Amino acid sequence: MQPSLIGVLDLNMGNIASVMNAIDYCGFDTQVVRESNDFVNITHLIIPGVGHYETAVQRLLKEGLVEPIKEFVEQQHPVLGICLGMQLLHAGSEESKNGVAGLGLLPGKFRRFTGGQRVPHIGWNDVAITNEHPLFSGVKSGRDFYFVHSYCLPVEADNTVLATTHYERPFVSSSGSGSVVGVQFHPEKSQRNGLQLLENFCVWGGQC
Amino acid sequence: MKHCTRCHLPETYETIEFNDEGVCNICDQKVFRDQSINWGERKSALDDLIETYRGQYEYDCIVPFSGGKDSTFTLYYLMEQYQLKPLVVQFNHHFLRPTVLENNNRTFKQLGVEVHSFTPNWKVVKRVMLESLIRKGDFCWHCHTGIFAYPMHVALKYNTPLVIWGEPSSEYTSYYDYRENEIEMVDETRFNRFVNLGITAEDMSGMISHDFKHDARDLKPFTYPPVRELKRLRYRSFCLGSYIPWDVKRQSELIMQKLGWKGEDVEGMPPGKYPYEKIECYMQGVRDYIKYLKRGYSRVSQMVALDLRNGRMTMEEAQSLITAEGKRPPSLDHFLEYLELTEDEFNAIVLKTVVPPFKPNFDEIEDAPRTWDYEQWYREPGQTQARRAEG
Repeated sequence: MQPSLIGVLDLNMGNIASVMNAIDYCGFDTQVVRESNDFVNITHLIIPGVGHYETAVQRLLKEGLVEPIKEFVEQQHPVLGICLGMQLLHAGSEESKNGVAGLGLLPGKFRRFTGGQRVPHIGWNDVAITNEHPLFSGVKSGRDFYFVHSYCLPVEADNTVLATTHYERPFVSSSGSGSVVGVQFHPEKSQRNGLQLLENFCVWGGQC
Repeated sequence: MKHCTRCHLPETYETIEFNDEGVCNICDQKVFRDQSINWGERKSALDDLIETYRGQYEYDCIVPFSGGKDSTFTLYYLMEQYQLKPLVVQFNHHFLRPTVLENNNRTFKQLGVEVHSFTPNWKVVKRVMLESLIRKGDFCWHCHTGIFAYPMHVALKYNTPLVIWGEPSSEYTSYYDYRENEIEMVDETRFNRFVNLGITAEDMSGMISHDFKHDARDLKPFTYPPVRELKRLRYRSFCLGSYIPWDVKRQSELIMQKLGWKGEDVEGMPPGKYPYEKIECYMQGVRDYIKYLKRGYSRVSQMVALDLRNGRMTMEEAQSLITAEGKRPPSLDHFLEYLELTEDEFNAIVLKTVVPPFKPNFDEIEDAPRTWDYEQWYREPGQTQARRAEG
């Protein structure tokens, strides 16, 4: 079996070191991905999540990364979006005032938290697994993960929801379809369960 | 002291809690173990795991091996059930008894296995024994850490990711509770949670550096290897007892019958009663004696607790056996020689680690009888009397 080489997308917008370190701890090699040529050797791609949605989409377009990501997915390579990375995988987000579309690999539009709760949603919260997936292998439903975000994907009837979390009202804390998965929380900051999830991703072949 | 109404373990027992009926959590775990864990499913999971690793690496698995009943049964079971090619790893803690050495020799020959043995530096061992005795009232740090860390180094050296241990800690304590219904991974988390007494090898190095010349290599056998390296190997380190229900008595009988494994009397234990328990170390008597001085119970209590839980003994019978606990073992003389302590110094150290509400009474301690191999245990040449305190 070919050893996994985990690409970590760098949009030059924030800290990717915590994700790189977590993957390293899990015993996998990483490679920073900044341009289309960087996709040649990697087996998995992580889109980390720090920053502003619209700026991130503009960077993806400017660096010519949208098509390589889509081709990578077509080849059924596993892709994990974390927080903002999860937003980018979906169709769109209210955070873009100009209605800029996301990668559209998963359906749904992110909305700002409404309902009077304190925003951003920061800290540990339960993640209820609603659909079994290799990403959550060995992780019990209801375990805590670490969140920092102001926008979320509302729970709507579709089969891409993997897990939900409650913050005044429920939202989608993990979504997935085919070889693409997203998590709203930060597994790289979520201790034992987060590291387990990252390890699961790195050994995952992209099939459900 | 308060005792469990079912197994009679006292409130000074590690990790113990009592429910409203006065039954302890170790007993409750056992009920869950017997009634709620799907052992058929677990056994299938073990079959799958073994087949995943079989034939893929230098060895099919590592079996850490003391020669006691649990590791002997584990090795026997893996060979008999799965016909594996294991590498047996022995960490020699310096106190192996003659019967255990004979048992090991016979077991290895009968089963046809390759064995990797390692013995740490005696001078280092003596110094860290003293330090952990003083700091924790438990002199076995080198053994706890060496037994659990060294085989992981061997797994890395021999590129063998599967490491199979014997008895899960849930049989005795609640650091890992059967009721969690999870597999107890024998990993760095477990190592740091209780195995190493809260003292890493790096800590230990700093604690002894003022009077003991050494470098980091001297403590490497007691150091858990980097988790990243183990994870790169995609290691799996677990107890056989997490996949099949553990039954010490039945398993001991089986290895006696199939391998000619021999039991042994242990200082401070009722002669002939539990001949399969903790026979692998001639410092066991001192360990159990310290436990009694600190916590008011000893290994007899732990053994009768298992029998009470399993309905194999009445409370009256158990209580009569327990009354024999707390005798001074003859091996204490060897121990004091090794560590260059007087008995008064030893008692003063242990007194600082007593777990309330127990209070030891040093005036009413009887001597335990010698076991047959007493004369064969190592003595430090030229040192017949313990050192006098020099201020």
